[in-house]
Amino acid sequence: MLVKINSIANVGLETIPVDVEVDVADKGFPGFTIVGLASKAVEEARERVKTAMVNSGFDFPPKKIMVNLAPADLPKDGAAYDLPIAIGVLIASGQLERLTADALFYGELSLDGTLRPTRGILLLALYANTLQGASIFVPKPSAPEATMVANVTVYPVGTLTDLVRHLNQTIPIKPLAHDTIRTDEEFDSGESDLKDIAGQEQAKRALVIAAAGGHNLLMWGPPGTGKTMLARALPGILPPLSPEEALEVTRIYSVSGLLAPGTSILTKRPFRSPHHGVSAAGLIGGGSSPQPGEVSLAHLGVLFLDEMPEFSRSVLEGIRQPMEDGAVEIVRVMGHVKYPASFTLIAAINPCPCGYLGHPRRACTCTQKMIAKYRHRLSGPIVDRIDLTVLVAPVEVEKLSVTTQVDNNTLTSRQAKLMVVKARAIQSQRFTGTHLYTNSQMKNREVKLFGKLTAEAENFLKLAAEKYDFSARSYMRLIKVARTIADLAGAETILPVHMAEALQYKQLA
Amino acid sequence: MQYQRLANWKTVNSLAGLCDLPHPPKQLFYQGTWNPQLFTHCVAIVGSRRMTDYGRQVIEKIVPRLVFEKKTIVSGFMYGVDQYAHEVCIQNGGKTVAVLGWGINRVLEDADKKLADAIVASGGLLLSEWETQKPTLWTFPVRNRIVAALSADVIVVEAALKCGSLITATIAQKLKRKLWAVPGPITSRLSSATNALIAQGRAAMWLGDGPPVLQKTDDPLLSLLETQALTASELARKLEKPVEDIGAQLSLLSLTGQLTERGGKYYVGQN
Repeated sequence: MLVKINSIANVGLETIPVDVEVDVADKGFPGFTIVGLASKAVEEARERVKTAMVNSGFDFPPKKIMVNLAPADLPKDGAAYDLPIAIGVLIASGQLERLTADALFYGELSLDGTLRPTRGILLLALYANTLQGASIFVPKPSAPEATMVANVTVYPVGTLTDLVRHLNQTIPIKPLAHDTIRTDEEFDSGESDLKDIAGQEQAKRALVIAAAGGHNLLMWGPPGTGKTMLARALPGILPPLSPEEALEVTRIYSVSGLLAPGTSILTKRPFRSPHHGVSAAGLIGGGSSPQPGEVSLAHLGVLFLDEMPEFSRSVLEGIRQPMEDGAVEIVRVMGHVKYPASFTLIAAINPCPCGYLGHPRRACTCTQKMIAKYRHRLSGPIVDRIDLTVLVAPVEVEKLSVTTQVDNNTLTSRQAKLMVVKARAIQSQRFTGTHLYTNSQMKNREVKLFGKLTAEAENFLKLAAEKYDFSARSYMRLIKVARTIADLAGAETILPVHMAEALQYKQLA
Repeated sequence: MQYQRLANWKTVNSLAGLCDLPHPPKQLFYQGTWNPQLFTHCVAIVGSRRMTDYGRQVIEKIVPRLVFEKKTIVSGFMYGVDQYAHEVCIQNGGKTVAVLGWGINRVLEDADKKLADAIVASGGLLLSEWETQKPTLWTFPVRNRIVAALSADVIVVEAALKCGSLITATIAQKLKRKLWAVPGPITSRLSSATNALIAQGRAAMWLGDGPPVLQKTDDPLLSLLETQALTASELARKLEKPVEDIGAQLSLLSLTGQLTERGGKYYVGQN
């Protein structure tokens, strides 16, 4: 008897329907074969399905069993076909009634018949949403991911036995209630709050500007001055994710299998901090069936590259395209995948290889040549895309003291976030009808159109350009930063004082 | 355009420079909004009608700096160096005074009219000692004496050996105004007179970077930095001011050469 079960395959963030065809033939030599470009993980489903069925108290028919995953030319990977295959075998061998409704099955089986967390459930639900009145049967631990999608009935399946009882209509499984995406939660500064960082007023200000205008930021300074803490505070002052954005981020984490079991949706902006030993595939994405890399996992959040000169040059060059396009395209033999990758880059560097150049209390042991070589390792094209540069200097001992009171005028993450949200609102009003969202995305044409410099401010900039010998690109970059500073101040035009402040964040000579 | 008559200019303090002239104008006519403050710090930029690309670059370099130092640019509204100096001044948000070589009621056309409108719109003035005089050979040298008399400094940008701006230079010397000339390539005919002015010791050499503007020394920021070098964050803490204000102030002081930044710390003085 031939049975067809509906399932899906995720290729990147794209979902393709897959028919799991199971035939249990009365004639022929007993065996169990899976065809349809199955990977090793899918091949092994034979043993898992067989054992899980037997351990759940069902018969595994000693007949010729043929499974076809159609379309046959699409490579399939992962253990998610365990459940549809098991259901197919049960029906084809007459142990279960034929299904009537539009149902999709997806999930990995454990040898005892329970269902294990499976990646990509959110994508399955989004696909099912496009069908009329579909229901999905997914592993219980991963099922909450699907509850954010409106028109899908989500059945959380604990074990194979539970599912069979439900399908036999003896003990029904209760579908999960739908949830709506709430991003307007109570303020949460995340891993680090600005008020907990001693001193570094200017670096905090630079973070606020970076968050308000979507600018990339380079922090330089000796080790242990708080660069990492500052970077970790950034997600907390970025505006909250909109429901669409939250779904977009969760989708990427769902296909990567990085959602903790029981998580429904990510409401916080991601913060990714890859180690400098990361490979190109790890940073950009890759693998034989391309998985999202760090740049995509940082989508709509922050990508922090600590010790940027230590990253391999060729690996780092790979982030140029995503920085430009907000997406990354990965081409492999198995196919061609596009992942979104629109992030704020925070880079941290030491002033020299030993780290203590310019330190008030410690001597630097580097030679001029070593320092030049170290700085040279920064990729020019990437530094060119960083609008803000700020010094994170060593803090005096008395500032660190634990017992003294925290200054009353210290900026908190809560205050910073309010400033950022306000400045972003001004920008979205300015850019209505364009493809832009933030000041950092302006190209030369838009800088001229939306910059609104007063003549005095431009005079100031021209003098600075003369004195510091700016390139045309630096010139435009400073206008963009000054635009954000003016937005933070709620000013219609860029005044000389905004320009003067922007000059504080110019590139290292 | 509407113009006004200023009969008793001698009562205006900032126009006292005109009294140095052996034949001061009897009366003055102007277009624009009258503002005696315009004449307190005037620098004249004069030069040839046939400006070269070098002259253009010189103006683009020196005028923004003068504007930044809140100087009023005075020139003769003739095409070439004069008009370009007016133009760059307006682009940089500065104020400029154009002393016309003809009567104030003359109707201007095309580019001249556009520039005149821009001068007035930016808060500058068009000035003439005549109401209905036609431009002729003698009016321009006569106009030059007013340009020189109004200004404390006269900068000759580009001039050939026979050039009207040399008349301005001569008058400026007689009136004991500070005369500057911009050096140029010795192969350029239009730099021959400016180079000659320098070589003969009549004019000082203008190299673009004027002396640093001295501001009030009771600035708490400067007095703090006199004893030790500090970063922007440290200054903000010590002065108990928002770091954004401190940052803007530091940029400004660095640009005027009063402070130098090295490795994120600020030092008093140039280098």
